[in-house]
Amino acid sequence: MTAILLHNVAKSYRSYDHPWETLWEVFTKTRCHREWTALHPLSLEIAHGEVVGIVGTNGAGKSTLLKLIAGTLTPSAGDIRVNGHVAALLELGAGFHPDMTGRENVYLGASVMGLSSERVDRLYDGIVEFAGLGEFMDQPVKTYSSGMYMRLAFAVATAADPDVLILDEALSVGDGAFARKSFERIIGYKDAGKTILFCSHSLYQVEAICSRVLWLDHGRLVMDGEPARVVSAYAEFLGGGGEGCGTPDQPAPAAVAGSGVGRLTKVEVEADGVEGRKLTVRSGQTDLTVAVGFASDPALPPPSVGLTITGSNGWAVTSASTSNDGLTISRRPDGSGEVELSFPRFPLLKGAYWVNVFLLCEQGIHLYDRIEHAAELEVVQDGLEQGVVSLPRRWSVNGAPASAVSPTVPTVAAR
Amino acid sequence: MSGVAPIQRFSRFGAMTWAGLLGPFRVLARERQLLGLLVRRDIIGRTRGTVLGWVWMLAQPALQVVAFWFLLDFVLRLRVPGKVAFIDYFLTAMLPWLFISDTLNRCLSVLTEFSSLYKRTVFPLKVLPLLPGLSGCLVYTPIYAATMGLLAGPGAAVQAVLLMTGLLVLLMPACYLLAVLGCFVKDLRQAFPFTLNMLLYLTPILYLPEMLPQEFRELLVVNPLADVMAVFESWIHGLPVTAGNFIRPLLLWLLSLGPAWVLFHRGEPHIREAV
Repeated sequence: MTAILLHNVAKSYRSYDHPWETLWEVFTKTRCHREWTALHPLSLEIAHGEVVGIVGTNGAGKSTLLKLIAGTLTPSAGDIRVNGHVAALLELGAGFHPDMTGRENVYLGASVMGLSSERVDRLYDGIVEFAGLGEFMDQPVKTYSSGMYMRLAFAVATAADPDVLILDEALSVGDGAFARKSFERIIGYKDAGKTILFCSHSLYQVEAICSRVLWLDHGRLVMDGEPARVVSAYAEFLGGGGEGCGTPDQPAPAAVAGSGVGRLTKVEVEADGVEGRKLTVRSGQTDLTVAVGFASDPALPPPSVGLTITGSNGWAVTSASTSNDGLTISRRPDGSGEVELSFPRFPLLKGAYWVNVFLLCEQGIHLYDRIEHAAELEVVQDGLEQGVVSLPRRWSVNGAPASAVSPTVPTVAAR
Repeated sequence: MSGVAPIQRFSRFGAMTWAGLLGPFRVLARERQLLGLLVRRDIIGRTRGTVLGWVWMLAQPALQVVAFWFLLDFVLRLRVPGKVAFIDYFLTAMLPWLFISDTLNRCLSVLTEFSSLYKRTVFPLKVLPLLPGLSGCLVYTPIYAATMGLLAGPGAAVQAVLLMTGLLVLLMPACYLLAVLGCFVKDLRQAFPFTLNMLLYLTPILYLPEMLPQEFRELLVVNPLADVMAVFESWIHGLPVTAGNFIRPLLLWLLSLGPAWVLFHRGEPHIREAV
C-alpha cells in the first residue's frame, strides 16, 4: 500500500527585489521574480513500512523534498499524496512559541498536528516522561537549552504514533541517554511497520537503518534503490570525502566522550607490543593490536565496539565491529569492560592510515562515543607490491602449487 | 458574448464573497482549540513580568480614556448639546475605537510575530489574522460592557457585548487583508499609525458629528467608522441614526469579504518564504 506518492513534483524558490512584488505578481500574474530550482520534477512512490534515507551533498534538495512531503512547502509543480498521519521534525524548535511554557507548547504542537485536547491530556504524561523535562514544563521554552528544546520537540512529534515520520538530520537527538531513547523510538517505529523518511550525512546510519535510499544531487534523483548499492555509489561520488564503510562521519576532535550511556575510557594501539599514537608498521609482518576500554550503563544491553582504518584521503579501507562479527561483549557489573582486537601480520600496504574507534549500541547503529585518529600508522613494506592491501593468495604454475617467494605474502589459501 | 463575461464575473465575485464569509468561521470552528491556546497566551503575554499583571489589561484602555477625557473635558472644556453627557458619548465610541485600532495595528505584524510557529511546520496560517481580533475582543468587551452597564444600565451591557461581537465580525476581512499586506508591504507598517490617527480624528469620537465644519461633514459619509460609531451611539444612547449608517459599512464589509480572503489564500504559499 502506498504511503507517499509524488507525481512530477518540482520546487523552485523565488526571489524578489522587494517583498511587495510577491503580492503584485499574485494579483496581476505579471512575473516579477527570479527563480532557482531546488528540486527538478520527481516522481516517487513510497510504500507503507519503508524506511527511506535521503543522501546528497548540501544543496542537493534533501530538505526541500522532506518539507514538500511534510507539507511545509508547496510544490511549484506536480502532486503529492500522503496517506496517514504525518509527523515531521524538520528543525530545532520549529513550531514552538518561545514565550509559551513547555506545557503550552505540547498542547500547541499537538493541536497543530490535529490532536484533540482530550487526546493530548492522555498523552501528556508520556510526553513529559519521555522528554525528561518534568520540572521545566511550566517554564517558557525560550529558557530551554537547545538539547531540551529538541527533546521536547521530538517527544511531541513522535507521541501521537504517526503513520509517516519525517526527520531531517535528527535521527537521534540530544545527547547521552536521550539520544539512545529517541533512537530506540525510531527503531520501534521501523519495527512497527511505520513509514520513515530521513535525510542524513551519516551513510553508516543510512545503510544500517534504511530499506531504501534516494540519492539526490542538484535537485535531481541520481539513484533510488537498495541501501548498499546507493550508499556505495554515493560514497564513490564523494571521492576522498567518502565515508561509506562504517564511520559515523561527523568531524570530531581527537577524543570525544559521550555522556550518559556509554563512553570510551581507553584506546591503546600497539604494533608488536610497542604502544603509541604514531606507529611504524611493517606490512605483512607486524601484529597490530587495539585495546579498547569502555564504561556503559549496566541497565542497557552491552555495547558493541567498532573500528575503522582510514587512508590519508579519508576512505575507509576496512572496518570491524563486535556486532557485525556476532560477538556479545561481557561486562563487569558496573558496566565497564575491555576488548582487544588484533590484526596479525598487518596486511595493508605502504601508506599512512588512521585508526578510529567507536562505541555503539548493541545493534551497532547508535553511536555512544568515538575517538577518531586514535593512532596514526605509517606502513612500510619490503617489496614493490602496489595497492592498499595484500590479499591472501595462492599461485600455481603449470597446474602445480608454487611456493611463495615474497616475504610479505605467506602461502595462505584464500578463504 | 459581451453579456456573459459580466455575469461570470459577478458569479465569481459571489463565490469569492461566500468563501470569504464562511472561511473565517470555518477556521474558527476547526481550529478553536489552537486559537484558544494562542489567545490565552496572547493575553497572558501582554502583561507578563509586570507587578500588576492582568490589572494592566483593564488599566491600559482605562488610562487612555482618562487621558482623552482630561484633555477634552478639563482642558478644552468641551461641552456638547443634547441629552447625552459628553463623557457618555465619548466612552461609547472610544472603547470600540481602541479595540479597532489595536486589532488592525496588530494584524499588520501578526504573521511576522508568530513566524516561529509556522516557518518549518505545517500550521493553519489562516488562524493568525483572527488572533488579534479575538484577543482584543476578549480584553475590551468586558470593559466595554461594564462601562456601558454603569452609564446606561444593565441592558446597555448586553448591547455592548453584541455590538463588540458584531464589530469583530465586521473587522474580519480587514484583518486578513492587513495581515497579508503587512507581510509583503513593509512600508505599510510605517505609515499605518498615521492612518489610524487620521481615522480617529475624522471619526466623531472626540466630538459630535454636528461639531464638524460643514465642508468636512461630507467626509463622514465616506468614513465607514463614522457610520459604525453612529450605530453604537444609537444603540446605547438612542441617538439618531440613518439607514445609510447601517448600509455603508455592511456594503463595504460584503465587498471586501471575497477579495480579502482570496488575496490571503493566494499569498499563503509565499508567506513562509517571505518571512
